[in-house]
Amino acid sequence: MSATTTKAPVRAAGIRTPGPGRRRAGSLAWHLGALLILAVILYPVVWVIGASFKPSKDIINSLTLFPSRPILSNFKGLADGIADVGIWTFFQNSLLYAGGAVVGVLVSCSLTAYAFARIKFAGRNLLFSLMIGTLLLPYHVLLIPQYVMFQKLELVNTYVPLLIGKYLATEAFFVFLMVQFMRNLPRELDEAARLDGCGHLRTYWSIVLPLCRPALITSAIFTFINAWNDFMGPLIYLNEPGKYTVSLGLMMFRDSDGVAANYGGMIAMSLVALLPVLLFFLAFQRYLIDGMATSGLKG
Amino acid sequence: MRVAEMLRGGPTVGTRNLDRRTILKAAGASAATLGLAATTGCGGGSGSGNGTVTIRYSWWGAEERAKKINQSIALFEQKYPKIKVKTDFQTYDSFWEKFQTQAAGGNPPDVFQNAVTFLRKYDKRGILLDLKPQVEAGNLSLDHFRAGVTKVGEVDGKQLGIPVGSNTMSLVIDKKLFRKAGVEPRPGWTWDEYFKALKTIRDKTRVPGDTGYFTIMYLYDLYLRQNGKAFFTDDGLGFDQADLTEWWTDGLGRVRAGVVTDPKTVQQDKPKSSLSAGHGASEFTWDNFTVRYSAEGDSEYGLAPIPTTDGKHTGQYLASLMLSASARTSHPKEVAQFIDFMVHDPRVGTIMGYDRGILTSNEQFAAYKPADAVNKEIAQYEEDTAKAGVLGAITPHPSGADTIEAAFMRIGGDLGQGKSKVSDAVKQFFTEAEAAFQA
Repeated sequence: MSATTTKAPVRAAGIRTPGPGRRRAGSLAWHLGALLILAVILYPVVWVIGASFKPSKDIINSLTLFPSRPILSNFKGLADGIADVGIWTFFQNSLLYAGGAVVGVLVSCSLTAYAFARIKFAGRNLLFSLMIGTLLLPYHVLLIPQYVMFQKLELVNTYVPLLIGKYLATEAFFVFLMVQFMRNLPRELDEAARLDGCGHLRTYWSIVLPLCRPALITSAIFTFINAWNDFMGPLIYLNEPGKYTVSLGLMMFRDSDGVAANYGGMIAMSLVALLPVLLFFLAFQRYLIDGMATSGLKG
Repeated sequence: MRVAEMLRGGPTVGTRNLDRRTILKAAGASAATLGLAATTGCGGGSGSGNGTVTIRYSWWGAEERAKKINQSIALFEQKYPKIKVKTDFQTYDSFWEKFQTQAAGGNPPDVFQNAVTFLRKYDKRGILLDLKPQVEAGNLSLDHFRAGVTKVGEVDGKQLGIPVGSNTMSLVIDKKLFRKAGVEPRPGWTWDEYFKALKTIRDKTRVPGDTGYFTIMYLYDLYLRQNGKAFFTDDGLGFDQADLTEWWTDGLGRVRAGVVTDPKTVQQDKPKSSLSAGHGASEFTWDNFTVRYSAEGDSEYGLAPIPTTDGKHTGQYLASLMLSASARTSHPKEVAQFIDFMVHDPRVGTIMGYDRGILTSNEQFAAYKPADAVNKEIAQYEEDTAKAGVLGAITPHPSGADTIEAAFMRIGGDLGQGKSKVSDAVKQFFTEAEAAFQA
C-alpha cells in the first residue's frame, strides 16, 4: 500500500521536471526523503524476516537485523506442527473462515445494499439508520450476549457463530459502502432494464452487480484481511486446537507463565501467515486502485 | 481501517435521508436488544449412546505443555476407555478472557487449570465445583500430597481446586555477579543485609542489585507475613496506607540510588527479564519460573533464600497451580477421576515434570527425577525451604485478587518511572483495590 502511494507522485514529479539542475537536486532530495521514510516503515518487516532465521535466544538478545549464522530450524520446526496439530490445519481453517466470510459478505451485503439503494419500501430510512447504528456498538459489548445465544443453540465450537453474521449482512460498513456506490450508478440503466422486462433480481444480478465491481472488490479484500487476522472470535468460539485458525495457532508458541517462549517458531509462523494475505492483496490491489479511481471520478 | 476507508471511500454520502434523530432511535433500539439477550444459558453436557462420556479440559500454556498433556491424556483414556478428554488451551491472558465469557455464558470447561487468585472470584459466582463429595465417594484422593499443599485449593471448607504443581516465592540471583561482589546469601539473612548486599553489588559490579522488588505483590505479602500481617484478609487488604507508603518510598529511594534497576530499563528489556539481560543481579519470582533465566541469559543463575525481618521467618508458603471443575459439569464423577489420575499417576508425573511447578503428590514427586541442573536446584530449594521449617499456611485470596495483583505491579511500576508521587500511587492503589473487591 505504502509503496504504491509513494510511487505515484514520484512518477508525476518525474514527468513535470523539464530540466534545470535545481529541479533535479530537489527531486533527488525528495527521493532520498521518500526512501528514508520507506526504510523506517519497512524496518519491522525486515526485522521479522531476519529474526525468523535466528535461534530463539538470539531473537531477544541480539540487536542485529540479520543473523550471524542463519538457521532454518524455525521453519523446519513448523513442519512438525504445533502441539500435535499439523500447521496446514490452521491454514485450512483460516482459509475456510476467511473464504466463507468473503462469499457471505459479497452476497448478503450487496443484496441488502441493492434493496436500500434501489427499492422504495416503508421504513427504509429507519432501517438504514438502524443498520448504521450497529456500527456504533463495540464488539465487546455484544460478545457475551452473542455467546449465550450461540451456546443455547449449541453452535459453539463450530464456524457458524463466526460466519453466520456475514451471511446476514450484519457487516454494516460494507452495506453502507455498497449503498453509496449504487446510489451513484445512473438510474437510467435500471429503467432501461425494466423496459426490457427485468425484475429486481435480474436488475441486481445483471446490471447493478457488474457495475459495482470496485466496491465488491474493496469489500472482499477487507473482509478477507479482517477474518484472517480475527483473534477474538475464534478464541471465544473454537474449543479444539484442531479447529483453531492461524491467529490462534500463533499464540501457541507463547507461554505467559514466565517460561521462555519459542520466539523463533512464532516469528517463522508469523512470516508464513503473512503470505496468504499478501497474495490476496497483490492479486486484487489493481482492482482496488481502479475502484478508488472510478469512484473518485464520479464523486 | 474502517474509519480510514470511510474517509477515503469514493462517493460522498447522501446524508439528507439520515437525520440525527433516526440515528439516536436506532442506537436506543440496539441497546434494548442487548438487555434482553443478557440472560444466562444452560450448561451443555455431552454423552452418547454407548456410555462414552466426553469432558472438556482447558488450560493455559504453550505447545510444550500441550504435548505433555496430550501424552498424559492418552494414558488416562487407556485406563478409562469410556471417558474422552478434549483439550483447549491459550496463553494466560487469553485463557481468562475466554473463560470469563464461557462462564458468563454458562458453558465453562468441565475441568480447567486454575490459580489461587481466581478461586474466590469464581466461587462467588457459583462456577466452581466443590470436590469434597467426590473425595468422599472415593473418586478422588486427597491423600499423599506434599505438606499442606491441598490447603491452597480450600475455601470456606470447600475443596475447589486440586494442586498439580507447587511453587514458592524465591530469590533468583546472578551467581557470577554475586561472586564478583563477594556477596553470599545465607538462610535467615535480614532485609538490612540484603539491601547492603545490593549496594555492594552495585558498587563493585556497576549492576543494580535487584530488578524491582517493590512492585511484586507476592513478595510484599511475604514481608507483611513476616510482620504478623498479610496482603489479604478474608475480604480486603491486610495492610493500611501507611504500610504501603513506607514500602514504596523505600523502593523508590533505592531506584534513585541506583541499587534497584530503573523501571524504564525493565520495560525496555521486555520480553526478557532484566536479570537475564544483565541489568540486575537478582529478582524475586516463583521458583518454578527460574527455567526462563538460563534459557534467556548467558550468566549462571541460582536460587537464594528470601530475606527475613527477624532472622528466621521468611513468610514463605507453598502456592500451586490447580485443577478445578465446573459446577455445571454433567459428569462430576468422571471429572474427579480425571483430576485424580492427573495428580496421582506416577507416569503422568514423569511426563509432566516440573512444567507447572514441583509435583504435588508424593507418588509423582518420587517418580520424577529431574535430569537438568535448573530443575534439580528448584527441587532442592523446595526441599530445603520445607526442612528449614519456614513454610507457613497460605492466607486467603479474596475475590478480585487477580486484578489487584496486576494493579500493584502497574501502579508500582509507574511510580518507579517517576510518573506519580508515592502518596498518589498509594491512594490510587487503594481505590482500585476497593473497586476490585466489589466487582
